[in-house]
Amino acid sequence: MSQPRIRPIEKFAQATAKCSVEAAAYGKCIVADYTAVQKDMCAKEFMRLKDCYLAAAKKA
Amino acid sequence: MSLSLRIFRPAVFRASRPISTSHAYQTARTYASQTPGSPVFEVFNRKTKHLQKDRAARNVEESRKVDYIKDEVAIRLCERLLDIKRDFPSVLDLGANSCNIARALTMPNPDPATPTSAPLSNKIQHLTCIDTSEALLNRDADEPFNTELSLTRQVVPDLETLPFEPSTFDAVLSSLSIHWINDLPSLLAQVNSILKPDAPFIAAMFGGDTLFELRTSLQLADLERRGGVSPHVSPLADVRDVGGLLTKAGFKMQTVDVEDIVVEYPDTFALMRDLQAMGENNAILHREFGALSRDVLLANEAIYRQLHMEEGARGLPATFRLIFMIGWKEGSGQAKPLQRGSGELNLKDLLGGGDFKQNN
Repeated sequence: MSQPRIRPIEKFAQATAKCSVEAAAYGKCIVADYTAVQKDMCAKEFMRLKDCYLAAAKKA
Repeated sequence: MSLSLRIFRPAVFRASRPISTSHAYQTARTYASQTPGSPVFEVFNRKTKHLQKDRAARNVEESRKVDYIKDEVAIRLCERLLDIKRDFPSVLDLGANSCNIARALTMPNPDPATPTSAPLSNKIQHLTCIDTSEALLNRDADEPFNTELSLTRQVVPDLETLPFEPSTFDAVLSSLSIHWINDLPSLLAQVNSILKPDAPFIAAMFGGDTLFELRTSLQLADLERRGGVSPHVSPLADVRDVGGLLTKAGFKMQTVDVEDIVVEYPDTFALMRDLQAMGENNAILHREFGALSRDVLLANEAIYRQLHMEEGARGLPATFRLIFMIGWKEGSGQAKPLQRGSGELNLKDLLGGGDFKQNN
């Protein structure tokens, strides 16, 4: 029995869903000043979100 | 960012020459010139759009599952036919997708005012469905609704040049297709030409604020992650533009109205996956090629949720703004607006009320 194919985007979505706290922190950082967004304005928050996602993706 | 972005591509390109500093080259200057006729407007890549539609339709199951918007809009569009008390011997469905309009026409009891009304297909003797994608057009060719009305499917190479004689159709319908047309003024003029005199054109298209949530959050994600913005969501016609476009194409007695459909999705990935399965993904000519980077997708998900999710909502909202338009080809015996200033009745006397008093 072969498993139904899971698209990479679905795995990505599942892993991202496990990082809602980090995502909210990053989102808040952007929304706090969304009229003047600059590159790497929220780099710190984003790296936390990405680390969380990478850890979640590895576990799955 | 201006949404009514139009990219002008001159019809004549300068022939490429080897770079040379010789005197002869310096004097042989070419002048920028433009061929007469209308300029060539290209916003969308037609080939890309065709491939996207074809690919999406080949996955039949997935493609049927995401027809919720197109079916709903087709039903709303066909409801507008109820107001027209006449029969249509020959009707064109311009950009039929999977013949969603034909399906909507065969639905029983379309009139909410009278619970037992005949399906609208009784008013239509023959429906011609045209689209560019064969896979999408023929996807539902074996469904039961095909037997309930006389229907021809026709694959055309390009929706922007209509292969029909003038004065062919008694009505032209179009649902969720003409937002991918590059040269809308030209298409509308052609539609006006293929209609018989005093025949209506009824269309629905995505407009202005469609997917503004996705547009804004992707822009913010792009800006913060990469320091610049690339167009990921199509520029769309605005409600204000549509009346002008119809007038320019020669339509009379126009009606334009707007409806919003808000759909909730569990996450932005589900939204983007559905858009792809609908064949409605990005096909802007000057877009950045390749998929969105994972960093931007990750950032987009977080920003969308923070910026647009309502308190206590189950999912992320995505707004689809529909512009419905009706225009009539000029014909004899058609009602016309009276001369300006020829009114003899004051609307205030007729309707009552209406003194603008200053509130102190």
